[in-house]
Amino acid sequence: MSLLKVEGLSKSFKGLKVLNSVSLEVQPQERHVIIGPNGAGKTTLFNCISGVLPIDEGRIEIKGKEVVHLPSHSRVHDGLSRTFQKNNLFNNLTVEENVYLAIMACKPYRYKWFKSITRYHDLLEEAEELLKRWDLWNRRNKLVNELSYGEQRLLEILLALASKPEILLLDEPTSGMSPAETALTTQLIQDLPRSVSLLMIEHDMEVVFAIADRITVLHHGQVFLTGKPEEIKGNVEVKEIYFGGGALAGVNR
Amino acid sequence: MNRWIWPVVIIGIIVLLPLVLTTYGMQLATEIFIMSIFVLSLGFIIGYVGLVSLGHAAFFGIGAYTVALLANVTTNTYVLILAAIILAGILAFLTGWLFVRTSGAYFLMITLAFNQVVYTVFFKWKDVTGGADGMTVRAQLDLGFGPVQSQLALYYIMAFSMLLCYFLLRRYIAAPLGKATLGVKENEDRMKALGYPIRSYKLIAYTVAGAMAGFAGSLYAFFNRFVSPEVASWFFSGEALVMSIIGGVGTLFGPPIGAGLFVILQNYISTFTARWPMVMGAIFIVFVLYSRGGIAHLLKRLWNRLFTKEEKLAEPAKVAEESKTEGGQA
Repeated sequence: MSLLKVEGLSKSFKGLKVLNSVSLEVQPQERHVIIGPNGAGKTTLFNCISGVLPIDEGRIEIKGKEVVHLPSHSRVHDGLSRTFQKNNLFNNLTVEENVYLAIMACKPYRYKWFKSITRYHDLLEEAEELLKRWDLWNRRNKLVNELSYGEQRLLEILLALASKPEILLLDEPTSGMSPAETALTTQLIQDLPRSVSLLMIEHDMEVVFAIADRITVLHHGQVFLTGKPEEIKGNVEVKEIYFGGGALAGVNR
Repeated sequence: MNRWIWPVVIIGIIVLLPLVLTTYGMQLATEIFIMSIFVLSLGFIIGYVGLVSLGHAAFFGIGAYTVALLANVTTNTYVLILAAIILAGILAFLTGWLFVRTSGAYFLMITLAFNQVVYTVFFKWKDVTGGADGMTVRAQLDLGFGPVQSQLALYYIMAFSMLLCYFLLRRYIAAPLGKATLGVKENEDRMKALGYPIRSYKLIAYTVAGAMAGFAGSLYAFFNRFVSPEVASWFFSGEALVMSIIGGVGTLFGPPIGAGLFVILQNYISTFTARWPMVMGAIFIVFVLYSRGGIAHLLKRLWNRLFTKEEKLAEPAKVAEESKTEGGQA
């Protein structure tokens, strides 16, 4: 059974059909990357899957369970988590507090009153582990505002991981990063345990081919092609239409 | 160690204050304590949930009128106060269920409208509430040791009530519930994406604030022995808003300071001129323009300027480490 199954998903904005009967599946352990030119509907697809936007038509199943009618916060508890293309963090809180909030979302004590948050030791330990793994431990007491852009970008991924998702939607994790930061982030994503399946939007072809098990090409709101990286790389049409031949040539070098 | 200094200082001042206060001063201080509870509950939803309400006096009024009306049935202080808290809480829950779907100016307007409805009920329902004439409260504050007659006892009871509310809210904001609520205020979209049902958090906080305002109202009924529709007027809601903003939202010690300053200035200025609202308005404008965080913010800045430098010098290792990470950053 696939972890995530999207079937015939359509979405229009004021008559403009942004997604037209999109179908895709993410298998357990899979690392699936969505590519496509700007305006292809990639982020809209993410917003529909995560429940930020209501959909017009279609089905979305998480582990065989229909989730179309569930609000976005419920889908998290079914094992789905996401990051945002533009950093969407708690800018006025410290890095540590950001992580606490993210971990706490799936804890039974998230409505508990009276006992201070710092006395939930499992929370502190999990936060420490995550912060250390993502290289933000010595920045934990800084406000998010004071972090560099790259660090904020890492925190963005870290927050999505805190709920221990089975499917992680990454929306252009490396966008705006320096080459060094991109390399580090790619490595960190590659190092994620296989128990987390990935569905990722990415523009940087080096990152795409470093991570992807399977690639879906989205164009004008439709799935143009889904296949293994080699198939996509070798596909002349994909090259011509979406990359103008140049971007992939760089990878093949 | 350090964390105990402030509570001890504040409680010490409150305990010893009656030694220097005149009868009038005691009266004023007691009123300030009650007002502080009310403003605290409003400052809490503004500062920690982001819900700016212009109808909070509705719950204060409901608390006050619950005591006044139920006093015809029972005079048990505990029953009356509990009834006021529960009734205000229930009403906050039911209305909040609708209201927290809105935000910003819409929330402001809908709470204002609700406030007007409550006010109108008290104002127009003459047979029951006495209308504009108001009604005397037949019950007397009695904690089980006979009616509280002395001004000193009343002072301490109200002071204790305020400290209790302050303490409870402090636990609220330190606990997972409060942290998540603050998260909702900071970034709703992210909280949803993290898996939080954000409306629940808003609704819980709004209900708690409503119940607390009802508690303040019930104490006021006992303190004043008379209630009139003014306690539920939107004008009073506005005053509470001014108090909490002057005091400083986003902290819990700001609102009581704002309440204290407001009540003292109001009484002081009104001995010179009947147009005291003009002076208060001018003070309010100055604060909004030059100190967004209110008095609490000013005090914090002053405190940091005076004491933080010394602490840093005392821990050179820490400072060095910080500058190192910053250097690496640059």
